[in-house]
Amino acid sequence: MAGQVRRRAAPGQASSHRERTYAYLTLLPALLIVAGFTVYPLVYSVYLSLHREILTDPLNHPFTGLTNYAQVLGSYYLVSSTLSTIIFAALAVPAVLAFGLAVALLLNQSFAGSAFLRVVILLPWAMPAVISGIVWRWIFNGDYGVLNNLLSSLGIIHQYIPWLSTPATARAGLVVAQVWREGPLAAIFLLAALQTIPRELYSAAKVDGGGGWSAFRHVTLPMLRPTLSIVLIYETIVAVVTFDLVYVMTGGGPGDATSLISWYAYTEVFKFVNLGHGAALAFLIAAALVVVILIYLRALRSEELY
Amino acid sequence: MTGVRARLSRQHLIRTLGLWGATALVGLFVLGPILWMVDSSLQGENELLSRPSHILPVNPSFDNYNYIFTGEIPRSFAVRGAIRSRISQEARQIPQALENSVIVALGVTLINLLLGSLAAYSFARIRFRGKGLTFNFLLGSRLLPAMAIAIPYYTIINGLGQLDTYTALIVVYLTFTLPFTVWFLREYFLLLPKETEDAALIDGCNRFQTLVHIVLPLAAPAMVAAGAFAFMASYNEFLFALLLTQTINSQTLPVIIASVAVNPDASFALISVSVVLAMVPPLLFAIGIRRYLTRGLVGAIGHA
Repeated sequence: MAGQVRRRAAPGQASSHRERTYAYLTLLPALLIVAGFTVYPLVYSVYLSLHREILTDPLNHPFTGLTNYAQVLGSYYLVSSTLSTIIFAALAVPAVLAFGLAVALLLNQSFAGSAFLRVVILLPWAMPAVISGIVWRWIFNGDYGVLNNLLSSLGIIHQYIPWLSTPATARAGLVVAQVWREGPLAAIFLLAALQTIPRELYSAAKVDGGGGWSAFRHVTLPMLRPTLSIVLIYETIVAVVTFDLVYVMTGGGPGDATSLISWYAYTEVFKFVNLGHGAALAFLIAAALVVVILIYLRALRSEELY
Repeated sequence: MTGVRARLSRQHLIRTLGLWGATALVGLFVLGPILWMVDSSLQGENELLSRPSHILPVNPSFDNYNYIFTGEIPRSFAVRGAIRSRISQEARQIPQALENSVIVALGVTLINLLLGSLAAYSFARIRFRGKGLTFNFLLGSRLLPAMAIAIPYYTIINGLGQLDTYTALIVVYLTFTLPFTVWFLREYFLLLPKETEDAALIDGCNRFQTLVHIVLPLAAPAMVAAGAFAFMASYNEFLFALLLTQTINSQTLPVIIASVAVNPDASFALISVSVVLAMVPPLLFAIGIRRYLTRGLVGAIGHA
């Protein structure tokens, strides 16, 4: 009965047609823009990946089937860049999440410091990744960097360390820059989720005798779970497609220590102008990402059952 | 009784100390690099290149800024003739690049909110054929890897004769940001009470008028948050800007700064100035929107 009243109250059948026309008209601009820059590029990219397309050899591009995919899969750089990417993601993603969660919990406390941090925390997120890379490159500079200066005046190191010219520290440096740049967004998202947790749940936990840690374990974490999952998946994608930071911080070096997979794709396209390889590689990366996300989703769901 | 109170106040003290300690640590990590850039930008090149370098500037000056805006060579470069080559001429393009970046980002933000809110409201409230399909298509479009579409984008923009224009960048960034805006605003619109809208519709408002007069005022925080994301995404984008721009007529800040910075002979002082100048627009933006941002996010996430 109530449903019928609602339906009468809403615009009737007559205006429904006009409403639908309105709906299509309002969707059209957004759809046209997105479709124009999705469908054709996709088709063209698939075409590229199935042909020999090297700009230095412009008149020779026969159909080669899956050769590009096979060549990319069999290349030394795929192995080394995949490894670098896995190391980078395995360090950066947990670090970003831990930083985000810790900062979100801090921001959720009511004291003067949290008001200050809530503004400050937005700054690294608000600036271009290229800039964060440059900022950190300057800090890690082996000859004039402020980090070496601080550490040696504190007596922690006795000799300046060429941070970005040594494989292990270059990787670590990239992770630090990534946490600096991505951590704040994770913190803001988790803070937003924290604020939606009803206070009563904490009072209930207290009545049950659960203090700080137990409340965190049994109330906060489960309630944050959906947001944590979103942030985890998002940050994994971001880590895998990281490109700007590498471009300005290390240029993939030293050697190929920080040649992440996106950097490899970039060099295939823009340095070796092998468009076929670049397109094939991009699809392989996308496929790998989908697999990773599916594994995540499955793992997260099965835990929820428990 | 007093013992309990003493213990409580000691706990309180420990908690306060812990909170402020953590705040200081996070603040140092987050702000330190930014302050160090500001610091570096006020030092002369010869100071920056001394060992050990100075943590605080000995002769702070705005010479480096002056060079970028007027071309007057900073005095510090005259101290040692040998480092003259370190003056990065390209850094003088920063003000123009800043202007390009802000124009493009604002253009994307405005068009994004206009088209995004229209589409999102229809997705939220009107039933029509193909709704699920078009919505999923919009979201799915974001799954395309950037590297795969980079070359096709170049071909399209080149074919349209729009290389090196604001239009090219704005349209491309709209493609990247619209799906998120539509999704985000739709989530928020779904949360709003339907009754007021129904009342407006009965009073003879059409959907568009209802959107403008009833829905948008209520959804202001979400609009600000969505606008902020669109602005930041466009202001920060690098790969496509690198690909689609050619001259300072349209080159955005990340492109110019990267080209200054990856030059091994670049001047650290001028890089620092460039970075500081580049931080100004997002900084103003972030401070301006911070209230709305969390509120808008709380709305959309609370629902999800």
